[in-house]
Amino acid sequence: MNGLHTLLTKSERYSAKDALQKGLPSKQVESWKYLPSRTLNKTKWVSASHRESAGFVLHGGRFANLPLCDGVNTSTNSSLNSAEIARLANLASAHGFSSAQDALNTDCLLLEVIKLAEVRIDLCRLANDAKEAGFATVVIRVGEGAKLLLIEQFEDAPRSQPNLDSLRILVDVSRNGEMKHLRFQTANDHAQVFTEIDVDISENGHYNLHTIDFGAKLSRTNIEIKLSAEQASTKINGLAVTNGSQYHDTHLAVEHRIGDTQSAMTFRNMVDGKGEATFNGRVLIEKEAQRSATKQSVGNLLLSKTARVNPKPELEIYADDVTASHGCTVGSLNRNELFYLKSRGINETDARAFLQYAFAAKLVELIEDADIRELVESRLLGELKHGELISELKESVNV
Amino acid sequence: MMSIRNLHARVDDKPILKGINLEISAGEIHAIMGPNGSGKSTLSSVLAGRDEYEVTNGEVIYQDQNLLELEPEERAWAGLFLSFQYPVEIPGVKNVYLLKAAVNAVREHRGLPELKAADFLKLVREKLKIMQMSESFLHRNVNEGFSGGEKKRNEILQMQLLEPKLALLDETDSGLDVDALRIVGEGINLMRTPDRSVLLVTHYQRLLDIVKPDFVHVLIDGQIKLSGDFSLAQRLEKEGYEGIELA
Repeated sequence: MNGLHTLLTKSERYSAKDALQKGLPSKQVESWKYLPSRTLNKTKWVSASHRESAGFVLHGGRFANLPLCDGVNTSTNSSLNSAEIARLANLASAHGFSSAQDALNTDCLLLEVIKLAEVRIDLCRLANDAKEAGFATVVIRVGEGAKLLLIEQFEDAPRSQPNLDSLRILVDVSRNGEMKHLRFQTANDHAQVFTEIDVDISENGHYNLHTIDFGAKLSRTNIEIKLSAEQASTKINGLAVTNGSQYHDTHLAVEHRIGDTQSAMTFRNMVDGKGEATFNGRVLIEKEAQRSATKQSVGNLLLSKTARVNPKPELEIYADDVTASHGCTVGSLNRNELFYLKSRGINETDARAFLQYAFAAKLVELIEDADIRELVESRLLGELKHGELISELKESVNV
Repeated sequence: MMSIRNLHARVDDKPILKGINLEISAGEIHAIMGPNGSGKSTLSSVLAGRDEYEVTNGEVIYQDQNLLELEPEERAWAGLFLSFQYPVEIPGVKNVYLLKAAVNAVREHRGLPELKAADFLKLVREKLKIMQMSESFLHRNVNEGFSGGEKKRNEILQMQLLEPKLALLDETDSGLDVDALRIVGEGINLMRTPDRSVLLVTHYQRLLDIVKPDFVHVLIDGQIKLSGDFSLAQRLEKEGYEGIELA
């Protein structure tokens, strides 16, 4: 027996029977059809162990060193309210993999940012050991008028075998609350990283996500956002730099449930080598959601003949008074731009690096946190073939 | 400096240049005029090395080298500069990066030492002043959101920094108001030296009133039909191209 089945006890296997019968990610399920599931389904996974570390971390499916800052209350899943329990159950019923995530979940943390508090929480997802799989859930309540900045980073300790890390993040943004969520995914080359983000936003609440994927062999991020009251808004920016034989997958669904709600999405995929990237962005505007506004821009840059992207923007509108726009491009480097740079004496290699940098830079510039922006930028320059010229220029003429 | 002999070029099987002959000596300014679609922009694009044009016949000798065998960047290293009719916007790349990378790439191939940041910034500030551009242009993305006039000034700024031996100016005057035309024209005049040549493509006499050419050529249907001095440009302004075609 291989795959996630190996982790379940007999009784768990029985309770997750439906899920397992539906099948773990496979080509038959529309939303999983591009995802290479061989490693996931063929590895003899074992439950992850936990190790001591500093800072607020997730390792082996368990949170440790919970954040102790003013304005934040932490507790375990026994404190979840019925709405949260229902949302988790709903998440679990989505498909086979989400049922397994639920059945295998080992830790559920409740983080509550109290009314009007302003806090920053840094979470580091530590690399699990070889063949270890960890499943955890964090439920976040952003209280009325509260502000939370959550920065999610990854330890990229080298591994020689597959390791699996799954995190569900359930967020409730209360009236006038604001959550900024910055993900900088740099997991190790063998990691299979799964992230499920489910957000519900109340009146005049905001959820902004900036998600950056560089690492992992396979990463899958599912984002579901519900704009449930007037003036709720969300802004989502994403950049995935996919190389070698990596696979990056973002599935995004935004639901405008009510009028006067706003959403904006900007994604960039840059794919080289035999890499493959999937972006599925679905926006649903319900009949009641008059005067809603949504815009989506997806750019895909293919840098090799074997690189692949699967972009799928979807717009489903039932209201008749909305502002909606979406644009999706797939292409290689612009010949005209290349010629312009070369006509100025910049050689082909440097000119290509310039344009690759330019493609991603817009998404990097939008990162508000200066330290993380620097980290992302230096990682980006490191990933570019021949990014040295730009690094040197940045250092020398940034006056 | 440059000798164009029987140059034929086409794009997508459509012949555009049909036998161009032109000699440009050091220090000379040549103006190419001609109606829309006559091949003016194609000529400057072929000379700069744009790859969508196929040269089917003829040759271009530039300073004893076969120009058409060189890559666009090699042409720039050899001292050729094209000011684009439609300068390209490159969102995400700051103007200052492009300028410094270009200056040092060209210097390296001319055997000059790399300009350090402080020296480069001093130089670029001098040139910005000449072109009446504010320093904020350095930190904006290349041509992104620039007005038509700002883009053209940015082209001439690049020319001043790269100090070419032969400048190809493709309709640098188009889209410029009177003041910008004067700034751009004077910027070009400042570059006049006995060993630098200019090939200027234009529709109108107005730029030529500021940058006085030594020779004016009329390009019609892919060939130079008539050559003369500045008075030819004045004649064209009065009579138009139809008179030339009939002649």
